[in-house]
Formats: sequence, C-alpha cells, structure tokens
Amino acid sequence: MKKGVTTTVIGSYPIEINNAELMDEYFNQKEVSWNGYIESVVNDMIHAGIQLVSDGQTRDPFVNIFCRKLGGCRIRERAEIIDKIQYVEPITIDDQKFVRQIIPEKRQNLGILTGPYTLSQSCVDLFYHDEKEIAFDFAKALKEEAKSLQKHVDMISIDEPFFSVSMPDYAKELIKTVISEVKCTTRLHVCGDVSTIIPEILESPVDILSHEFKASPKIFDAFEEHSFSQRICLGSVRSDSPNIESVDEIKKHIIRGIDVFGDKISQISPDCGLRLLPRDVAFQKLKNLVKAGEEIYG
Amino acid sequence: MFSFTKEQKVFDISGIKIGGQPGKYPTILIGGLFFKGEPDFNLAKNQIQKMYDLSKKTGNQSIPDFFVKKEEFIEDIVNFIEKTIPKNQPFSIDIIDANLKIKILEALHEKKLLSRTIYNSIHVGTTDEERKALKKFKPEAAILVAFNPKDKSPDGKIEVLANGANLLDKGLLDIAKEIGIKKILVDTAAMAPGDNSGASISAIPVIKEEYGLPVGCAIHNVVEKSNWLDKFKDSRKPVDAASNINIPLFGGDFAIFGSMHNSGLVFPMIAWEDILVSEYVESYFGIEPCDFHPRRKLF
Repeated sequence: MKKGVTTTVIGSYPIEINNAELMDEYFNQKEVSWNGYIESVVNDMIHAGIQLVSDGQTRDPFVNIFCRKLGGCRIRERAEIIDKIQYVEPITIDDQKFVRQIIPEKRQNLGILTGPYTLSQSCVDLFYHDEKEIAFDFAKALKEEAKSLQKHVDMISIDEPFFSVSMPDYAKELIKTVISEVKCTTRLHVCGDVSTIIPEILESPVDILSHEFKASPKIFDAFEEHSFSQRICLGSVRSDSPNIESVDEIKKHIIRGIDVFGDKISQISPDCGLRLLPRDVAFQKLKNLVKAGEEIYG
Repeated sequence: MFSFTKEQKVFDISGIKIGGQPGKYPTILIGGLFFKGEPDFNLAKNQIQKMYDLSKKTGNQSIPDFFVKKEEFIEDIVNFIEKTIPKNQPFSIDIIDANLKIKILEALHEKKLLSRTIYNSIHVGTTDEERKALKKFKPEAAILVAFNPKDKSPDGKIEVLANGANLLDKGLLDIAKEIGIKKILVDTAAMAPGDNSGASISAIPVIKEEYGLPVGCAIHNVVEKSNWLDKFKDSRKPVDAASNINIPLFGGDFAIFGSMHNSGLVFPMIAWEDILVSEYVESYFGIEPCDFHPRRKLF
C-alpha cells in the first residue's frame, strides 16, 4: 500500500480451542503446544492481506495473558494481585518469535501489551490498597517485557481501554514508563468513546494513536479541535457487530478520516480486537478492510 | 506434614472413606486394570483379590479402576464388575473417549451399578453430550482432572476448577455440581517429566486448603515417562511404587498408583507413610487415626 499506510489489527482474533485434543496430549503425556492456534490466526490475517499482523492473543483474554505470568498475580474467578507485582519471565516473546518465523518476508508483526492502567483496574487487589502504586508496578514490569519484545516485533501497541472509562492524571507517566527503553514504533490503543479526553490522550509519548472511529464517529469531531504530532491508526470496521461492512462503506469511512487527518493516517484497522466475533465474520471484515485500503491508497 | 484450616470433607463411597485431615483416614489406593485394552478377566480376578487382601492387612482401602479402550469390551467388563466386585465396594471407570464414556454410563445404569461408580473423569475435554449423559445416568462420585493446558502450576489447576480457564463455559466444580455429583474428588493432573511435573504434588495442599475436597493424583505416571530410569532397570518398579508416598506426605487422600499388578509393592509403602504422617499429626495437631488406620492395624 502506498503513502505509508499500513493495514493492521488491534490484537485479538477468534479461535476455537480443541479441548479434546489438548486432553489427548495430556493423557499421552505430551507437552502442549499453542503454535497451531497462533499459526491458524496468523494465516487468516495473511490471507486477508493484513500487512502488520498480531499473534491473535489466542491464549487468554488480554488481562490474563499478562497476569498469568507476572509475579504477584494469580488467576482465580478474576485476576488477583496477591504480592508485589514483578516481571519474572518473558510473557509474549516466544509467541512473537514464532509469528516472525511464519510470516512472509514483506509482512510485519505487532507486539501487544495490555496497558498498566487497564491491568490495575481489571485485577482484584488483595495486596497494595493503592491504585497508583499498582499501576506503576505494572508499568515497570511491562517495561521489561517491552525491552525484550522490541527485538522480535516491528511495532509495540499498548492497549489501554480503561483510559476511556477513567483517565488518571498520571496516565502519561505510566505510558512513558512502559516505553522508556523502546526504540521501535509505538502505538497507544484506547477503545470506547474518547471524545472527552482527547487533550490528555494527545500528551501520550507514542508515535501512533488508535481509536474506535467506526463505532464512535464523534471522535473525529473531537480531534478536529486539536493539533498534534502523532499519527493515527484509523479504526474502520466495528469489532462489536457481526455485520460485515462493505468495501464501499469502509472507503467512505476512510475518506472521512482523510478529511480530518490527511496524511497523518498511517494505519487502518478494525476498531478493536475481533475475538468475540465469529471467525468467518472477522476474516471477511479484514478482507474488506484491506480491499478498501487498496482502492483508496493504491 | 499438614493440617488444613479449611474444613475437610469426608465422603463415604460404598463404604470407602475418602478425604479429611491428613492422618485421619488412610490413603485410598486406586489400582488399574486393562491398560492394554484386551481384558484378561482371570488375571484381573486374582489381582483384585490380592489388592483386597492387602487392604485388609494394611487398612488402606482400595478401588479397582477399569480402563475401557473399545466399545466391544464394554459389555464384558460391566458383567465382570457386576459379578466380581463385592456389592459393598466401589469401582472406577477410566476412559478417554467421550463416546465410550457415554455408552458405559448407560450400561452401568442398566446393571444398576451407578451407585458404586466413580467416574474417572471430568475435565476440559468433557463434551456437552457427555454432560447430558452424566445428568441422565448419574454416577455416585466423579474425579475432576485439574489439567489446565495454559498453566500447569497449582494456581492454574485451581483456575480450571474455578472458572474453566476460558476453555469451558464454567469451572469443572460447577460442571460437576450442575450434573448433580455430590462426591467430588480432584486429580491434580501429573504432567510429563520436565513439564512442571512437581506441581501435581504441590497442588495437593493448595487445592485441599481452597476447597476442602479429597485430592490425589497419578504421580507414578511421571516415573513411567522418566526415560533416564532405563539406565537403572532394577529401580524402575520400586521408584514407581515409592513415588506414591508423595501423596500422603503432602496431605493427599488417594493415589492412582497404576497397574494393580504393583499392589504388593505399593500398599506396604503407603501404609508405612500413613503411619509416619499419623504419628506426627496426632502429636502436633491432635488428629487421631480412624479405627482401621494402618497405625492401628500394624503398629
């Protein structure tokens, strides 16, 4: 695609886990491998024509992926914090190494971190009793993951959906902490209606801002009031609706984005992760997104 | 050695007492039959009798665990159970294939054997059809295998029991309760050597403290897959039998010890360990062994 606009995803992608097969591996005392699931979703993204692909976050919901492996956290009914949060082992690195092995040469891979504020707000705190301290300890742990992750991906995206619910006054510092030693391109994804917090979001020290422009078109108007240096990842198909947007509908949406942002648009993507959609719907949405992008950007 | 703050459930399954605080009841020993598929009923009859004799001698109650590998074996195995297993004794059926499990439930129902059946097992691979069949033909008890392919640590095992680890619509405990199974045993899912195999032992006290249910595992499977033991051929059998000692030492209630053929080695070892545990927990926690405990029978 010309003019430096990349088709990409936010992160998650639907997959059906074969529990019977996993149990067979257990009964036969074989080590469980998740690579088949990762390969399957990466293939979908590749076949749909997506240029910057993710690992599909197939292992777990996006909070559990991190809480499962961070010290001080455990998973019960929900993720719980039971001790000081610490980085003890790589979390997403092996999966990203695998993605890089299987994607064609001209495609790129996207590292995804669930943001520290979202992690802090999603866990049951049984240890700290201090929201800000939790968020910063998550940020420090994620910084370690980001340092390693950048060697194996082309871009790192930080997903902070909770910013649209309540953006703390230390949001900028949190993001800064996570990416303080990252040299690759960075993206902040905040889904939901962010129209009232654009000034705060614009303070984020990242290269690209990503939002749900398709589900919340009023975000366009909110951005128009501000000047900023970041580039834009334009959410262009809904992730909360099984209705498949036609290529023409997506094109109209992108054209509206160009009217507002001009050449600041560097990525087009779904509004958010697609894991809750039927797989054939998710695939078709990606295909139409790619087609619309090609027709506009060549 | 342990005593738990959580109240520990004790189930009576056709006269077998299972669960409770460590040192109260002897470890239940579950011995397997027909691993290779084709049943040898004469051999099985002798092995079952030998196991029951060892139970009488040591006080360690036992349960025969029947592997069923093909549909064509169901009728003969169920008939064998009906004729051979005393009416006051439970047994477990150990089947991997979900369709076979459904078929044997119906066969056990027809022979009125479900009130003595321990269903081995419910796990993340349990199908919706299997759940429906279990509701229709309800066994007396079930073993839940706490295998979590995402996390083999004790926490991961708790997760799959509590909420299904996002692999199921609900946790294994809720699935068992929804079916209506009141006597739930938890198998901590022994993994292959090098794949967090020790977690199946460390999970025993964790799960007992969390839920108060009877907990055990088939730790001997780890020995079976320890290929380095091939260099010590004379040791394989004793190591296999001795691995079961970990279960009562960590507060567990039952050992699925593999082939019933190994009963002669396993029972005295476990009786010895049960005596050791009992001595300590009585002196420190004041837990007295039951009337038929090996410490009463042998010491």
